[in-house]
Amino acid sequence: MSDQTLRTPFPERASAALKDTFLQQALGIATTKFIGLRQESFAGFPEGEALRDRARAVKEATLQKLDGYLAELADNVERLGGHVHWAATGEEAREIILRLCRDRGLRRVVKSKSMATEEIDLNKALEAAGVTPVETDLGEYIIQLAHEKPSHIIAPAIHKTKGQVAELFSKELKGHFAADPEVLTAAARKELRQKFLQADMGITGANFAVADTGTVVLVTNEGNGRMVTSLPRIHVAVMGIEKVIPSMTDLMLFLAILARSATGQKLSVYTTLVRGPRHPEELEGPEELHLILLDNGRSAQIAGKLREALYCLRCGACLNVCPVYRQIGGHAYGHTYPGPIGILLTAMLKGDRSVKELAHASSLCGACHEVCPVRIDIPRMLVELREGLDRDRIAPWGERLVFKMLGRVLGSPMLFGLAGRIGRVAQKPFVSDGRLTRLPLVFGRWTRSRDLPPVAAKTFTQRWKELQ
Amino acid sequence: MATREEMLGRIRREVRRAPGLFAASPAPRPAHPEEAAAALRREMMERWPAALARFQEELERVAGVFHRVASLAEVPGVIRDLARQRGARSVVGWEPAALGLDLRATLEPAGLSVTVAPPGGGESARLAHREAAAGAQIGVTGVDWALAETGTLILVSGSGRPRSTSLLPETHVAVFGKGHLLESLEQVGIMLEALHADAARSLSGAMINFITGPSRTADIELTLTRGVHGPKEVHAVFVEAL
Ligand code: SF4
Repeated sequence: MSDQTLRTPFPERASAALKDTFLQQALGIATTKFIGLRQESFAGFPEGEALRDRARAVKEATLQKLDGYLAELADNVERLGGHVHWAATGEEAREIILRLCRDRGLRRVVKSKSMATEEIDLNKALEAAGVTPVETDLGEYIIQLAHEKPSHIIAPAIHKTKGQVAELFSKELKGHFAADPEVLTAAARKELRQKFLQADMGITGANFAVADTGTVVLVTNEGNGRMVTSLPRIHVAVMGIEKVIPSMTDLMLFLAILARSATGQKLSVYTTLVRGPRHPEELEGPEELHLILLDNGRSAQIAGKLREALYCLRCGACLNVCPVYRQIGGHAYGHTYPGPIGILLTAMLKGDRSVKELAHASSLCGACHEVCPVRIDIPRMLVELREGLDRDRIAPWGERLVFKMLGRVLGSPMLFGLAGRIGRVAQKPFVSDGRLTRLPLVFGRWTRSRDLPPVAAKTFTQRWKELQ
Repeated sequence: MATREEMLGRIRREVRRAPGLFAASPAPRPAHPEEAAAALRREMMERWPAALARFQEELERVAGVFHRVASLAEVPGVIRDLARQRGARSVVGWEPAALGLDLRATLEPAGLSVTVAPPGGGESARLAHREAAAGAQIGVTGVDWALAETGTLILVSGSGRPRSTSLLPETHVAVFGKGHLLESLEQVGIMLEALHADAARSLSGAMINFITGPSRTADIELTLTRGVHGPKEVHAVFVEAL
């Protein structure tokens, strides 16, 4: 995300998104559809609930011995003839890839969709070094041509209409393309097929990596993940350290719930298990396999308040059900990972300070917790994040003051009664249409982006007495 | 650049500091995977008919096409028909030993141009084969397992079994028999555990692909479109005598 975007404060980014009627419509249709597909898929899959519990337990168990599993993974990848690189930061990961390109004189890179490479802002670094990275997931390809950023973890271009895509393709691919998804998909197939065949290096993320066998696992629907790992001479996989799982048995557990949570499919079209570079007796496949294990703020949360966010499979289910995401879409969050889990991941990667506004972009309704395949308690962590922002004096002083006062008032029946009586009188000039929409002084920060219900004319206790 | 020792050391320190959220363990694995796999194969010799029915149902649900023939000798006929209907002229396929079928002998007389993967590797053979595979309209492969609960074909790459045969052509034809059928992902787990427990097999074939129907996307206005990068059509041919 450009610095320009981030200089605009979050409430303004959110307001802009709320005024974009096409975005509103597209988001509504997409998220509702994903929710329906997910529900249908789990409805016909009674064992799913138990599998989710087991998958959650595997993630927790893996974290409890993460160092051991990573060492085992690295040993096995090397045993199969692959190279393992360790990157403490995004910058180190970029440097490793740039060096591979430089040393081998490589210029043409094809990529399959990977949030990890978005996270480390790899494309910009490659371009600056004279290497052309081509995104090959259709949605990613569209937004790369448009010089934009993904707006959804699994549907990066949901904010664009087919008309906009047709216009974009007609301009960039030199031709005339109708605003028809079939036509546009065929155009991308033709264009990208050449890129796959010419590329020197393929870069992917990893959905999982199996420690016991040294296997890197990719889950895709289009087949670009297979192209990228089959045709170029070199395959580089960038993977967050939390993606390791112990065994093939565990992998089956995750496969059973991942696609169902993301798109409602029983399995995605392609699950690709990469077992090192091409074997000597094989005709095809890359000569070199490089696995980059990326920390970038993750290890600090193993014992931190965001530990549970390390379970995340990046399925996107929590985005679709989030009332905030559904209204503002991915771009307004302003960082690589949007939605409720995105707030936590942003805090993990960039520090608490980076989410001092975003930490409040949640109604704490709990819908994300309910749909998460590994039952990550996102609301709990958001509350803890808010607490921390207050404690570490990162939140604005006005906000901290108000909450401190509120704490006092809520803690004392006497003060609570008094505040109610004062509020009932003091609010009068500010009520319009039965809502408080503009409060003065420090309270104004709240009403700038939210309405408040006014203090009721009678308290609950009074009404209860009258009812008796 | 971080070294392995530095990064693992840091992670180890954090792991020791963290008590964990709850008591947890990974999924229990088969103690003797090869025996478990052998037992499963025996059981499937009894249960395959139900698995086959489920496989067909699920394959069709993901827009795959199911065919059933009595013997391997009938498979070339299926391919010839597909080629004729699609105006296809060229076919690429696994080598006869891997496929159980000599495609050239059976399809070339029908006027199709057939490229068969050579056994083994080598740079010039690789480039020549890639060109042929990229130009072919139909790719013919065998399978290692056919998973009933999801309609999935599972293929292990290897000598004479290139990974692109099921990827580059617009139509993928996969040939399988009752011995390949499995019922659940859990059973696939047992088979993969067994494959990796076997020292020789664990090192053969650098890629395993699970294929569940034709390539698809919904990236433009969520409209389902098939054949983005991979095949537009997937045909699974069940051979009774296999
Ligand atoms: S937090 Fe859960 S629901 Fe959200 S993307 Fe991660 S795994 Fe999916």
